[in-house]
Amino acid sequence: MNTEIKNIKKDYLIIGNSAAGISAAESIRKNDKKASIAILTMEKYPNYSKPLITYYLAGKLDLDRINFKDRDFYKKNNIELCLEKKAVMLNPQERFVLTGDGSKYFYKKLLIACGAKPAIPPIKVRDENESVSSLDREIGKIRGAFTLTTLEDAVEIKKYINDYSIKSASILGGGLIGLKAAEAFLELGININVIELSEMLLSASFDKTASGIIEDRIKQAGSNIITGQTIEEIIINNGAVLGLKLTNGNKIKCSLLIVAAGVLPDDAIFKDTAIKTDKGIIVNEKMQTSIPDIYAAGDAVKSYDILSGQPKNLAIWPAAVRQGSVAGMNMSGRPAIYKGGFLMNSVEILGVPVISLGLSNAEINASPAEIKVYIVHDALKKIYRKILVRNDRIIGVILLGAIERAGIYYGLIYNSIDISELKDKVAREDFGIIQLPADYRKHLVVGEGIEV
Amino acid sequence: MALELNQSEFTVERDLDKCIACEVCVRQCSNDVHEFDADDKTVLSESSKCVGCHRCEELCPTGAITIKKKAAEFKENSNWQAAHIKNIYKQAESGGVILTGMGSDKPHTVYWDHILFNAAQVTNPSIDPLREPMEIKTFICGKPENLKIEKQNGQFKLKSKMGPYLELLTPILFSAMSYGSISLNACKSLAAAAAEYGTFYNTGEGGMHKDLARYAKNTIVQVASGRFGVDRDYLRNSAAVEIKIGQGAKPGIGGHLPGEKVTEDISGTRMIPQGSDAISPAPHHDIYSIEDLAQLIDALKEATDYEKPVGVKVSAVHNIAPIASGIVRAGADYIAIDGFRGGTGAAPQSIRDNVGIPVELALAAVDTRLRQEGIRHRAAIIVAGSIRSSSDVVKAIALGADAVYIATAALIALGCHLCQKCYTGKCNWGIATQDPYLTKRLNPEIGTRRLHSLLRAWSLEIKEMLGGAGINAIESLRGNREHLRGINLNDRELSILGIKHAGEAW
Amino acid sequence: MKRIFIDEKYCIGCRLCEIYCQVKHSKSKKILKAFREGQPDILSRVLVEEIGHDSFAIQCRHCDDAPCVSACISGAMTKNEKTGVVVCDQEKCVGCWSCIMVCPYGVIKRDISSGKAASKCDLCVDEEVPVCVKNCPNEALKIVQFPDEEK
Repeated sequence: MNTEIKNIKKDYLIIGNSAAGISAAESIRKNDKKASIAILTMEKYPNYSKPLITYYLAGKLDLDRINFKDRDFYKKNNIELCLEKKAVMLNPQERFVLTGDGSKYFYKKLLIACGAKPAIPPIKVRDENESVSSLDREIGKIRGAFTLTTLEDAVEIKKYINDYSIKSASILGGGLIGLKAAEAFLELGININVIELSEMLLSASFDKTASGIIEDRIKQAGSNIITGQTIEEIIINNGAVLGLKLTNGNKIKCSLLIVAAGVLPDDAIFKDTAIKTDKGIIVNEKMQTSIPDIYAAGDAVKSYDILSGQPKNLAIWPAAVRQGSVAGMNMSGRPAIYKGGFLMNSVEILGVPVISLGLSNAEINASPAEIKVYIVHDALKKIYRKILVRNDRIIGVILLGAIERAGIYYGLIYNSIDISELKDKVAREDFGIIQLPADYRKHLVVGEGIEV
Repeated sequence: MALELNQSEFTVERDLDKCIACEVCVRQCSNDVHEFDADDKTVLSESSKCVGCHRCEELCPTGAITIKKKAAEFKENSNWQAAHIKNIYKQAESGGVILTGMGSDKPHTVYWDHILFNAAQVTNPSIDPLREPMEIKTFICGKPENLKIEKQNGQFKLKSKMGPYLELLTPILFSAMSYGSISLNACKSLAAAAAEYGTFYNTGEGGMHKDLARYAKNTIVQVASGRFGVDRDYLRNSAAVEIKIGQGAKPGIGGHLPGEKVTEDISGTRMIPQGSDAISPAPHHDIYSIEDLAQLIDALKEATDYEKPVGVKVSAVHNIAPIASGIVRAGADYIAIDGFRGGTGAAPQSIRDNVGIPVELALAAVDTRLRQEGIRHRAAIIVAGSIRSSSDVVKAIALGADAVYIATAALIALGCHLCQKCYTGKCNWGIATQDPYLTKRLNPEIGTRRLHSLLRAWSLEIKEMLGGAGINAIESLRGNREHLRGINLNDRELSILGIKHAGEAW
Repeated sequence: MKRIFIDEKYCIGCRLCEIYCQVKHSKSKKILKAFREGQPDILSRVLVEEIGHDSFAIQCRHCDDAPCVSACISGAMTKNEKTGVVVCDQEKCVGCWSCIMVCPYGVIKRDISSGKAASKCDLCVDEEVPVCVKNCPNEALKIVQFPDEEK
């Protein structure tokens, strides 16, 4: 064992090399040209875009094109990137982070942007030759069972598919990652089963109508979708996936299993510290944690949800970039504020573009008086648009098929604009800036050069 | 419904090889000539609705449209011309007066085109206005009987008291066009261009819109028979006051702005209730004689503290010379004479094309008469009614005018294509309309720039012509009819114009 | 940076801006040929909104703090630090439409004809004046130098 402990001193230390971490580093460098900046990541790949790993899987992007910042980003900005340096312990008193290889990284300011880790539901595993199943086996240790949140996961899956000529796969989870994986597999000619615990796909951000249209599309492309079920037991043989047993007793044969049942903040580094958490790091609007000089941003934090007025884990790319940038600004002495955000998702699955914004299915648990719903649905043209309005403010949107100009709704939600005059128009396909209240239109446009 | 016998005037030709069905023409035509056919993805045109404004032709990005005069004609007949026949068809259906817009298009003699200007050769040198000073500044006012000059401390000083005057950097003013007959954007263009160039525009009888108040120093405010928008502030917020007796296109006729065109904005400007008809009576009901006119002139001078020139505008009619004499004797500081080819927003065609006399003859007659009576100096003369070019300006000044009013020329500069459909309110060029969809087509910034360019261009040409004749100040040209010669004119015409025929030396 | 200034008062709704934008971004760059090349081939990056006599043309505002740039998961959408122009690298764009989701002006289009790339105004960087501005018959679009936010 290497007993030599390396002590490394940095002005700014960032844990995490994705959206939040990189955008923070970029902001810091803009304000502070001289300070030393280091990014620690447990991964072995330099910057890459996590949402693109399914595109890599599908073969639409190779490893050279999966980066979202230029390859020379680190060099150009004089940022030290420390690959495969897993942060294992944080000592706020002595201001250092201990990495897996025993190095101590001392910091003046620290940003925790370690992101999320896959959520793995408790699933029993049974060897084909044994009668007793157990909960003890780690899914990651079963050959042919994978989570899918990092590029390394995607690389391994791809290798596995090639090495074993996989022809059938199961995906646990009908969320965005699961469905993008499904799309990738379909394009690779692999038969798939998508297993979703709830009664519909994409239940977190879409509604029955929208998810029904997507479900039809995926089925049409040859996939099998099983809703209302989960995996009771993974059946293995010689340490490799052989099949699944579902909660309804049905058995499915498959040689590849992707567990995509959501993500949780990765708490490894902060769970044993005094940093205040509540299923994620609690931060203020400057992205400061409860401990001075420690900031946090991205999927690991609970920031502010402007729609509920409550702290919320906004595990989406645009929020991570914004939060990272705000954190970086504050860390480098330039005051900035993150006003909060709301959940939103945009994705195209098998040629069907869908966008959801805010509380897109909130009407289910509310009275019609509280939340009004405006819908345009053209089954023939495969267009579905739904706008949710509470107190004359838009709080949720689903657009399917016709997604153009979705951002106008984003602006209306973000700025909490009174749309009481526009209710009959708000869901229509021709809804545009020209219908918006004059003062908002003016505010919207004058800033960047439109006279109204 | 019975067959309508009116024939279409124009043919819309669409080159289908060039048409990209972009629908610009569809969106630009207020007469619904063009229509997009969604089934065939083509644009179809209904020629019978075309008024010949050429808006679509000008905006078509591929040059696919040509508007042509319709070739189909009636059987040739020197007596029963097509215009007569068409008018009768129209009236047989409508039973009404035939309205028209802009100035008369009838082929009466345009005397400007029968007058030639002189140039210097050998015996007197010509002047290059680009190298030598050339003065075209013009003053509009009455002038004292004689100039009294006194010597004070060895310095000569003007002793005679000068009355109020207008100072023009070029002898061209924008003639009266009311807000109502033209759009506010057109008014703004005129006002701003006048202010920028150093000349004047005229409110017409529609009052002064609040947005135009800042151009007061370059505004002639009009007092007409309807007295629309006239109050103390209106009179004082001006450079000069003009009493409008008549208009060249419709002498003896009043005006009528239908109630539906009296919008909120226009009602405020005209100071009449919204939606009520704005009727300008044919005569001023307080003016039945020169003495009455003198009283009004006095009243307006009194109201403006004798600080502003007061002028009188009349149309050129048969008796114009004695009328002008009366106006001058009534105390007017200038007299504006509007010839029968002058424009209008709306007039009965029978009046426009048949009443009044050409301004060239009226001007010569008035100038001659006032000189004979020894009162020419008491008032300036501004002529209006189809001044089409800088050479018309030069000829008018040599005939005796102090300055000219232009209106049709100004509107053409703003985009007018002389389709003569002003009275429909559907002007596709955003000029003679109050429809907000159409008025925004005239961006006053562009309008101002174009009018300014026109004034500059004409002024340069005027200087060139003066220089060519060896004259270095426009004052030296004024009333100098020796610089003019007639061509193709009979003795009577030459004698009224007071000019020699071409070929006759001094 | 230079930005396109939109004067709603004088937009006449002729849509020549859209037409010339289409031509500019077509293969041939010739108007007659461009429209023959086929409709889906060319999307206008400026769009005219119109209700009654109100209309205006709007295109990318090239925001200083552009939401589309932060939302882009592929790094295709970037703001050029020198010119200030926000551009979408058609090669990098994967067509996730996150930019469409967050653009409050709604001026990014989904171009599926050329392999799923977001289509937006590039301010005609290779032209002296953007073609929409150049061809606006009523000067409702102007190109104006705006002070930089940073300074």
